[in-house]
Amino acid sequence: MSETAASLASPTPAAPAGLPWRRWASQAGAVMRLDLRKGFRRPVGLLLLAAAPIAIALIRVVFSAHAVHERADVAEGTNFYAWMYQILILRLELFLAGVAVFGNLIRREVLDRTLHYYFLSPIRRELLVAAKYLTGVLVTFTLFGISTVISFVLAYLPHDWTAVSPFLFHGPGLRQLGSYLLVTFLACVGYGAVFLALGFFFKSPAVPALGMFGWESIHFLLPPLLKQASVIHYLQSLCPVPIPEGPLAVLSDAPSPWVSVVGLLVLAVILVAVSGWRIRRMEISYDES
Amino acid sequence: MSATVTEKQRVIFENVSKFYGEVLGVNRVSLSIPPGITGLVGPNGSGKTTLMNLMVGLLRPSRGRISVLGMDSQRPEEFFRHVGYSTQYDAFPPGLNGSQFIRSYLRVHGFGAAEAEAMTWKALERVGLTEAAGRKVAGYSKGMRQRVKLAQAICHQPSVLVLDEPLNGLDPMARAEVISLFRELADGGLHVIVSSHILHEVDLISDQVVLIHGGYVVAEGDIANVRDEMEEEHPAQVSIRCDRPALLASRVFAQDSVMEARIDDDGKGVLVRTRDADRFHLLLNQVVLENGLTIEAVAPADADVNAVYQYLIGSNGEKS
Repeated sequence: MSETAASLASPTPAAPAGLPWRRWASQAGAVMRLDLRKGFRRPVGLLLLAAAPIAIALIRVVFSAHAVHERADVAEGTNFYAWMYQILILRLELFLAGVAVFGNLIRREVLDRTLHYYFLSPIRRELLVAAKYLTGVLVTFTLFGISTVISFVLAYLPHDWTAVSPFLFHGPGLRQLGSYLLVTFLACVGYGAVFLALGFFFKSPAVPALGMFGWESIHFLLPPLLKQASVIHYLQSLCPVPIPEGPLAVLSDAPSPWVSVVGLLVLAVILVAVSGWRIRRMEISYDES
Repeated sequence: MSATVTEKQRVIFENVSKFYGEVLGVNRVSLSIPPGITGLVGPNGSGKTTLMNLMVGLLRPSRGRISVLGMDSQRPEEFFRHVGYSTQYDAFPPGLNGSQFIRSYLRVHGFGAAEAEAMTWKALERVGLTEAAGRKVAGYSKGMRQRVKLAQAICHQPSVLVLDEPLNGLDPMARAEVISLFRELADGGLHVIVSSHILHEVDLISDQVVLIHGGYVVAEGDIANVRDEMEEEHPAQVSIRCDRPALLASRVFAQDSVMEARIDDDGKGVLVRTRDADRFHLLLNQVVLENGLTIEAVAPADADVNAVYQYLIGSNGEKS
């Protein structure tokens, strides 16, 4: 402690040079780096979730003699993957990842009593929320995007290459993979925004998550108008291979791909904006939390 | 909002109240805090932290208005370029070492990598923590955690520094160094606002004090002035150490302004209670000269913040 006072008691430094957009990008980048470093150091739960479809597809490869009936029939692999993707990855894993990651983006900081460090920084709180949300999207899409690709490839591994090759490179294979990746991305974006916003209205994300899980699970039973109030309705419509919903399903027209994509993106923007409005009014009182 | 010149130089609370539901945090607080070191004093639970959290916008007032150098904390992007706050929360982002902790949040401020790096080491040097900068904060001692929080609060060179119980957990050497740092910063024109429930600690470092109790500000200003205003109700006490205390006691007690003159237990001094300290000091000079007394020390016995607090509140302000 040997320097003179003047070195610290100098006039407050001006804002870093550059247009606000540039500064905001720099600040958002700093928040994302910091969140990745401290928030996702050991994402064991997420890794296990993402690894589950890979494990199932691998088991099918190992036991292909029993699990695969016709090696030359690529459609069998396509059906297997469609079921696994829609039931396991989309309806369960991406939903749970949304709860775990986005529902805790702010809550974890409150429980760790570290949110005030952000609140005491000269950053717009709306920008803080947006940066944290983008971190969540980056993490979940990276993990589940990789999981989607690997499990997709493994779904066709037990089949003859002579049948798989034309399907992948001259048929609909890669396009289907692209569609699955798009759905994975939009699920991260959509569920992420929903659980980010719910995190501001509920102390624990578990209660709204359970309610929403029930709603999303029975969406096929809902009348057409109510179906439109579920995220899965739009995501499912983008899946390249439909799966039957059972005899009790209420039939309705699937929304067009453009409506689904734009609708989910708009929903995400609105919910992130609502979260920004909430955090602007948020107080820090860890003891009450 | 157009702030007046005074507002731009002061931290101002205008009739501020904060309620947590029906529980009182602080009530009808009006303050105008000038540059220098301001001690915020009160027992645990008196409202010091609430007042500080209101100051920096971590809490919103239920009523009233707060202005820090003419700025409103609801615009954090501007406000926190000028304000640093070391909270009482003993918590840190997991997995970071000392320098990463400071540097990461400087990047959030918007500083570039090189600039943030230089500012980080400067702040760590100020608090004497460069050697431990590479260690995980989670492994720091209480004193080191206090210092790294202090470094984080000063690293961006704020004009207003708000510190909640900053001396807690520091060893005597570190306390002396940190107090010296506060003094340097205040001498450089900063507002340094320090809370403590240890009264003598605040007495040592503050230019002015704000005494708070039960959510109310009970006194504010220079501690000597606050004490003077209480002279009618609580006569001043002066301790005189001299060679002939009995003689001194008999001479001064004969005067109207002296209410009591009591010889110390060790027989080497006198404790005088007087309603007019100025007049008493003139009288003392006269008695000393007339009787050739040898004076070792003359000191006010109850002009410190501890005594003032005791008179105002009826307790010594320590944690009960």
